[in-house]
Order: sequence, then C-alpha cells, then structure tokens
Amino acid sequence: MTYRIVHKTTYKYRVPVSVGNHIAYLTPRTLAHHTCTSHELLVTPSPSGVSERLDYFGNPVTFFTIREPHDELRVEARSRVVIDDCPAIWPEHSQPWEEVARSLPADRSPEGLEAYQFVFESPRVKPGAEFRKYALPSFSPARPLTEALLDLTGRIYKDFRFDSKATNVRTPPEEVLRHGRGVCQDFAHLQVACLRSLGLPARYVSGYLRTYPPPGRARLVGADASHAWVSVYCPGAGWLDVDPTNNLVPFQGHVTLSWGRDYGDVSPVRGVIQGGREHRVEVGVDMEPD
Amino acid sequence: MLLPDRSTYNEFAPDGFTARPYWSAVIESLQNIGPDELARRWERAERRIRENGVTYNVYTDPQGVNRPLAIDPIPLLIPPDEWRVIEAGITQRAHLLNLLLGDIYGARQLVQNGDIPAALLFANPAFLRPLTGVAPPQRGHLHLIGVDLARSPDGRWWVLADRTQSPSGTGYALQNRTIVADVLPEAFGAANVRRLASFFRAWREALLGLAHCDHPRAVLLTPGPYNETYFEHSYLARYLGLTLAEGSDLTVRDRRAYLKTVEGLQPVHVILRRVDDSFCDPMELRHDSFLGVAGLVDAVHAGTVVVVNALGSGVIETAAIMPFLPGLAEKLLGEALKLPSVATWWCGQDYALDWVLNHLDRVVVKPAFPLRGMEPVFGAGLSQVEKRRVGEQIRSRPYEYVAQEQVNLSTAPVWDQGRLYPRSMVLRTYVLNTSAGWIAMPGGLVRVSEADGQVVSMQRGGRSKDAWVLWDGPVDTFSMLRPRNQPVQLERTTADLPSRAADNLFWLGRYAERSESIARLLRCLMTRVRRANHTELACLFRLHGCLGSPHSTLPKDRPASARDLEDELVSLMSDVERPDSLASNLAEAHRVGGNVRERLSSDMSRLVVDLAESARTEDYMLFVEYSAVLNGCLELLSAFSGMERENITRGSGWLFLSLGRRLERAMYSVRHLRELTSGLDEQSWPVLEYILEVADSSMTYRSRYFTTLQPIAVLDVLMADENNPRSLNFQMAHLADLHRRLPRHDPADQQAIQHAVTLLRGLDLEKLEFPLPGGGLPAGYSDGQSQIDRALGSIQELLPSWADNISLMYFDHAHTYPISIGG
Repeated sequence: MTYRIVHKTTYKYRVPVSVGNHIAYLTPRTLAHHTCTSHELLVTPSPSGVSERLDYFGNPVTFFTIREPHDELRVEARSRVVIDDCPAIWPEHSQPWEEVARSLPADRSPEGLEAYQFVFESPRVKPGAEFRKYALPSFSPARPLTEALLDLTGRIYKDFRFDSKATNVRTPPEEVLRHGRGVCQDFAHLQVACLRSLGLPARYVSGYLRTYPPPGRARLVGADASHAWVSVYCPGAGWLDVDPTNNLVPFQGHVTLSWGRDYGDVSPVRGVIQGGREHRVEVGVDMEPD
Repeated sequence: MLLPDRSTYNEFAPDGFTARPYWSAVIESLQNIGPDELARRWERAERRIRENGVTYNVYTDPQGVNRPLAIDPIPLLIPPDEWRVIEAGITQRAHLLNLLLGDIYGARQLVQNGDIPAALLFANPAFLRPLTGVAPPQRGHLHLIGVDLARSPDGRWWVLADRTQSPSGTGYALQNRTIVADVLPEAFGAANVRRLASFFRAWREALLGLAHCDHPRAVLLTPGPYNETYFEHSYLARYLGLTLAEGSDLTVRDRRAYLKTVEGLQPVHVILRRVDDSFCDPMELRHDSFLGVAGLVDAVHAGTVVVVNALGSGVIETAAIMPFLPGLAEKLLGEALKLPSVATWWCGQDYALDWVLNHLDRVVVKPAFPLRGMEPVFGAGLSQVEKRRVGEQIRSRPYEYVAQEQVNLSTAPVWDQGRLYPRSMVLRTYVLNTSAGWIAMPGGLVRVSEADGQVVSMQRGGRSKDAWVLWDGPVDTFSMLRPRNQPVQLERTTADLPSRAADNLFWLGRYAERSESIARLLRCLMTRVRRANHTELACLFRLHGCLGSPHSTLPKDRPASARDLEDELVSLMSDVERPDSLASNLAEAHRVGGNVRERLSSDMSRLVVDLAESARTEDYMLFVEYSAVLNGCLELLSAFSGMERENITRGSGWLFLSLGRRLERAMYSVRHLRELTSGLDEQSWPVLEYILEVADSSMTYRSRYFTTLQPIAVLDVLMADENNPRSLNFQMAHLADLHRRLPRHDPADQQAIQHAVTLLRGLDLEKLEFPLPGGGLPAGYSDGQSQIDRALGSIQELLPSWADNISLMYFDHAHTYPISIGG
C-alpha cells in the first residue's frame, strides 16, 4: 500500500510577524513495515535557514527561521509512504498486565529502558486515581495485556463522543474523562493516562488516517485530518498500536509521523513569533492511495 | 547560668564563652574597636548597602521588591586545615557531578548498568530530553556549581544540597566581602584572609575561554528586575565585564544567537545564564516561558553558542541523587566520596521506602523533584493521623519523594546591638571549572537564621555573612580593578548597549524631565493660587491648560473656582493613580532606572531611589507646605540632571538619556510658547511672568529687560536664544546634534530635525511684527505672531512622531514579545 500525503498548515496573523522560529514534525518516520520514500517541505515565505535533526524519540524534526515580515505562513508537507502488505501481527498471547507493570522498573534491556520512561507523568498527561478507576474494569487480575488493551480501547470508543467543538489542543485529559467528549487527540491522551496510571508504558502517536468518502460520493481533497492514537509496550511483542477513536488496531490505513510522551512533544507545526498578536490557523490533510 | 549546648556545633566558642583559638586575632581587633565604634561603622555600612541598592527581593514580602540585603558584620572564620578538607571535598564533588551529567546526557551507561535508577531521570521534569546527545561545553556541563554545607555537632561538614544549574550567591559573597573588609579593616589585615578577586578573574577567563572564536561576546542572561537576585546579576555583570541581557534582548536566527543592540544584531558566543533550565527556550523547553530565547536549544545543538551551566544541568539538583554518590565516586573516580551528603533516602527504592515509612518522625520529607512544588514535611511534628496520610501520599508515587535526616546546624555568632548571639548557619561554597582544573572560591556565602529556628533561607528573610578563610601562607592580593603584571590595553570603545537598556535610558531622561516640568509648573501655581485676584486666577488656569491633561479634575460643567484649582494641583502632584501626575512620573523614572541600574553610577541610582519618594505628601500637611516638598524634589531633579552632564561618559547610553531629556523639554517648551503666540490680551499679561518662572528663566529675563514684560522679549529668551539651556532653540539644536551621533541614524529623521532648527533660526524676532497690549495692531493675529505660531505648530507636530521613529529604529525589536503558536 502506498500513500501520497499532502499536509497544509496556514497561519494568518492580524499584524505582520517580523521574525518566526518554527519546528515542524511533519516527516513520517520509517519503521519496520512503514517506509517514507519521499518527503518535501514547502514553506512560504521562504525561510532564511532550514535544518533537520532527529529528536530524542527518534522523530525527524525540521527547524526553520523566517526573517522577512509576513502576515501569513504556509507550510506544506508532501510525503510518500509505503506500508508493507504483511504488517506486524497482533500477538495471540501476552503476559498478564500486572506482570508487565511489575517487571519493567527492573528491566535494563535497551527496549525495557526505552519503554519504561513512558510510564511516568508528562507535561500534558498526569496519571491519577480517576484514570485508574476508569481503566480497572478492563484490567481484571491476571488478564493478558493485549486483551485488556483492546477492551479498554473499545470502552473509550463506546463511552466517549467525538465532538470537535467540545475541546481544544490544551484540554487536559481529566476534563475529557469528566465530560465524555473530545477528538482523537483527547482520546489518545485519555488512554495514555489510563495505561500509565496502571504502571504501563504508553506513548502518544501522531500521524494520518485514511478516510473513505460516503458511498457514491467523490473523495473530498483536504477533508482528512491529522490523527492521533496510542502505542503500548508489550514485552516480547514490542510496541502495539491501538486507535481509541475508531476502536481498531491500525492496519495499513494509518501513517505514523512521530511519537512522544504526549501531544506537546510532537505537535506538527509550532513556533515562536515576534509580532503577529492574534492568529488563525487552518489545517488541511489529503491522504490518497497511490 | 547558661549551660553550653552540646547538641549543636558552635563555630565561635565550644562552651558559648571561650572563643576557639583561631578567632583570637579577630576578637582582639573587635575588642580594640569597641562596641560603640563598631556600631557607628556598621551604621555607615548599612547606609551604603541601602544606597548601593544591594537587594534581595522576597516574593512573599509586600514591600519585597528591592528589600535591602541583611548582612551581619561578623565573618565566619574557617581555619586553614578545615578549609583544605572542604576544598578537597567540594572540588571532588564538582568533578563527580560533571562526569555524571556527561553520562546522563550522553551515553547513559550508568543507567544501563544500574548505577543510578532510570526513574531518577524519567520521573524527573528537570531531565531535558531535547538536550540529550548535544556536545557539552569544553570541560563538561558544569561551569560553576554551588555546594551547600552544614556542620554536624561532631564538627564534620556535610553537603545539604548541590546547586548545579545556575547557583546564586557569588555576587552577594563578593559584596559582603567588600563591606565587611571595609568595616573591619584591622581584623581583615590581622587575620591573613584569602582574597576573592583571583577567583573572579579565573571565572571571567574560564567563561571567555569557552567560546570557539577569538573575540567572543559573553552575556549574563537574567530573568529581569523582578527576580529575587537581580541585584546580583547586575553586580556580577559589571564585575565580570559581561553585558547584562534579558531573554528579550537576545534572539536566535538561523541557529545563531544575537544580542539586540542599538547598533543592530551582534553575535553572542557565551551565555552565563541565571534563568532556570526549562525556561531558557520557549520553543523546545517550556512553551509558556517569557524569560528565554526561542531557538536557543537548536543554537546549542548547532554549536554556535555555549550556555553555562549547560542546559539540563538541573537534573541532578534533586536530593534523590545523593544516596548514589558514594558508589558513583568509587566507580567513576576510583575514590571514596570525601564529603558525605546529609543522610538521604529516595523513596523510589523499595528498602528506602520501607525505612522512611517506619521512621517518619526522624526525617524531613521533601519532593524529589523541586519543580513539583511542595513544602517540606517535618515528620517529628506530625500526629498519627497525619503520618498515615503522608505515608499514603508517599506510597502512591514513591519516586516523587525523598526523606532527609534533620541536621542540627552549627551556630555562628551574629552581632546585634553590641552583643554576639549564636544563630544556625549554612555555608554555600562554589567551585569553578577552569582549564587549570576545578577551583574553589576561598570562602562563600554564609546564611544564618533570623531567630533560633533551624530553617535557613534568604527567601524566608535570614541574614547573610562573609566567610573568611584564614590562611597559613601568603595570600594573593590581586584586585580586579588593578591588574598588576599585565600591560593594560587602553580602551575607548564602550560595551554593547542592548536596545532594551537604551529604551529604558531614553525614558529615564524623559520621565526625569517630565517630572521637572510638572514640578516647576506646580510650584508656580501652588504658590499663587491662594492669593490670586480674579485676573491672575484666569492666567493660572491658562498656565494649567498648557498641560492639556486628560485627567484633570477641574469641573467641566461649571466655571472652575480657585478651590477647584487647588484640588486639581494636589491631584496633579500626588495622585499615583493618575498617569500624568508628578508622583507617577517619578515612580516611572524609578522603575525604568531600576531596569538599567547596572548602567548608572551608584550616586545616580541612589538619586533615582530618593526621587521616587521625593514628592510624597502626608495627610497632615497643609497646602502651603507642598511647595517646600516641591523644592526638595526639584533639588534632587537638578542634582540628577547635573550628574547626567558630569558623571556619565558620552557613550550611546548617555546619548539616549539626553535625547529623552531634550525631547521632553522641547515638547513642554513648545506648549508654553504657543500660549504666547496664540493671542495674549492685556488681562493675560501675568502669563508671561509665569511662563518665565516655569522655564526657570526669570533671572535671565530680568537681567536683560528689568521688569518690562514684553511677549517678543520673552519669546527671545525662551525660544530664540541658543545660549539659554531652557530655550526651544537650544533643545532643537541639541536634539539634532545628539541624533547625528547615534549609530546608524536615519538621514530622514536627521533632516527633519535640522529643518526644524533652520525654521526656528530663520524667525527674525526684531523684524516680525508682534502686537502690544492696546498698541497699534489689533489684538489677535498679526502676521509675525501667526508666522511664529505656525512654526511652533509644525514643531509640536513633528516631535511626537520623531520620537516614535527613534523608538521604532532602536527599541522596537526589544518590544515585541515572543508568542508561542501551535504548541
């Protein structure tokens, strides 16, 4: 399966911005069954300098500075991603979830250490008793981690309503839990909070999801959006992705951009500007099978 | 009889009375001085402390900002052998912590091998992931560290805390030394005390040596005047010869850091930071920080700028690391840890958790990661119920807590009204990373509790003391001010002037002049309003009208009375809520002056402080007393403008200060002059006299024209005469001259001001017809009068926009605060 993805972000400022420094997390990661074969980033007005590096989590990051006064910033990422036809298989067996939580602190293998850091609080996800309480019905004693994980994913899907008006990018997961509404980012944060509250390592994944038009209609260009889901470490099997917004295990329709402890680590375009004051942002994603 | 207290170590006298032998020289000299003389000397010193603006801002104190620092005159003495032990211990520790940081942000072997638990990093908000894998500065992450020491009853020194990101107190230690050595010169001489200056020289050299280029520019990054140790930042910047910069003075463009100066962007190579780790870059660290520089982390990645201590160094400020240091010393240095840390349990380890829960009454429980914010809990004072609650809290997230043994602090003698009292103390020491190895500052900052309590903290309002390391060899008497062996390179160029500093100086000039104009106007009106007849009162209203104040309290719906004017004058003088009042302008002068105190002489800084209070009126004062207050205020303002002329080198800082003053004086002058050219009838004649007085030119006028008041003659003195420093032409000619000397000045602005000067000079008052009261020409507009009025009108219009252009050209990039988007 091959996808062409065009991700456009436009910032419109009320007064001109004299200088802007920006970070973009818009380059898809290359993984075992998931390869980014081409990528370009078009920025208008054109930046005076662009640099790239891998961040702490191994995500490709692009930095750029714009030094000419502008009242509109356009960032367009064009990527091509090939996903293997035989992706990772959901394991049939897994350890009981408590076992995973108990063994991890002592696990000093590279994978174990890498995973362990996702057990802790992060700026936007603070584990706590209320998340634990919500999660526990799925995590009955000695239940295999994978089974409990799918159960929790299904419950979040069932208990929470997709509502793009209910929250914003800064809504804490506690509020989402209380009000029962939100968008993919909120459900991902919520599930991460639940898992960490049980001592399980969970990370936030930022990416894209293939969408299908209603039967008989043409696919609308730009109607897709960036997406977010959750990845959980299961010793022996590695990281397993689940999508609480759609109650499914990502399979060929999900393209991974980057992952981190929460949205703050991987927000697709951010920056610090001089001037500008109020701004509006428009985002359009178009993901098309090639 | 008082029994000696054996539960604490008394630094001065073991039994409370008999001084330890090494105190003898100091005690003898104190006895020679005598309590009365010491009291006198100390009073002088305290006055100097206040005047020099040595402050420690306390957040919780309502009068906290700029609270004078409380210092004790009696130094803590440390004998040579004891100092050698301390020195060896803290330099070893600095070396060890530096290696530890190198591993944490580099290979992370220690975590993989289990030498330190991974949770110490992963649960620690001070572990800054964006800084991993970055090449550290030469010689490692740590450039300067602070180590807090306490002494237990058996006389051993213990480490209470390590300050690894930007330790405060070196400047206070230096200031204490200056003051105390000055108060006790006999004792200081007799005791053979190790000096501090060579440490600071080494510091400056080590800092500049960090740069990768030949003529590095180094700045001290401060959170700004509201930070509790801002005094120290400005003091150190001056002493070390660094430019003091706030985050908004710096900018990163294309992976390079720059200082925004009036000469444009200047590259910065080394940043000595006093801003906490996570606040240093709103782009990659805390997105809500206003104190940092967007893109700084990326510039550090690119290797174009060196930040010390390296960003992320705060990760080992946690006490939770302490239990692991003995093992790390063995492993990394192959040595035993020389100075023990105070007994510490990190609850993230099972056995430590059990021990702490079983011994709560013997420990103080603290957050492992101070960023989380929690007050220490003293186990001994807890009830059973409270203990259970604390126990549960710890058990829910054990790695978030540390417990420490409560230390019985030693006591040092504190002087109070002729007697010495023992007070609990903590000694902060400093170690510097130089090309010649780790160097300890010989001495440090001693902090003592205010009363008998055990909690020692400057934030809680304790005092500080000097620490004298007594030496058994020769002491290096190098002084930073008088280098002996090096040829001096003569320098005429002055350091960078950051745009923000220029902005503040510009406004200091403006507020000072504005205050003076208002004070003179007020004095003129206040002395007359009570005895004015009907005609005079009308003229006083006219003079008041020159202000064009939108905040006037005069009634609008009925004719104003003398009483109304009196009330208005009181409001104009002292209403701090009113932006155009004298009190407000003086407060603003104080505020902007405080922002650039490192650029003013200590005399000027002191005047700015005094000025802020100088227009204060008290409830019991009578109206007639106000003019005396104004006299006092005007005297200080004159002293200030005198210093501005005589005590500042003519660098660009002075240019902006003077520009502000001339600009403001020109603006007031134009308003007054237009009162003369917009039509004066016979009844308004007293206005001439008032305006001369307000412009401080009555004497000049009288010496030329005796008492004959004529508008044309007044105009000559106040407008045309370029020898009168109060005349409009004088201001305009100076504005043109000052502007021409500004770096990269805009030719169009220069032309505009030159044009105005030419316009004014072209007005030939001798030839212009000007009406006399009841004279040949009808009152109203004669040709000459309207010609002058038009010229003044055009200048009145020019000045504000011209001032805006200056702001835009030189200060604007300092004003736009960064906004985070998309986070």
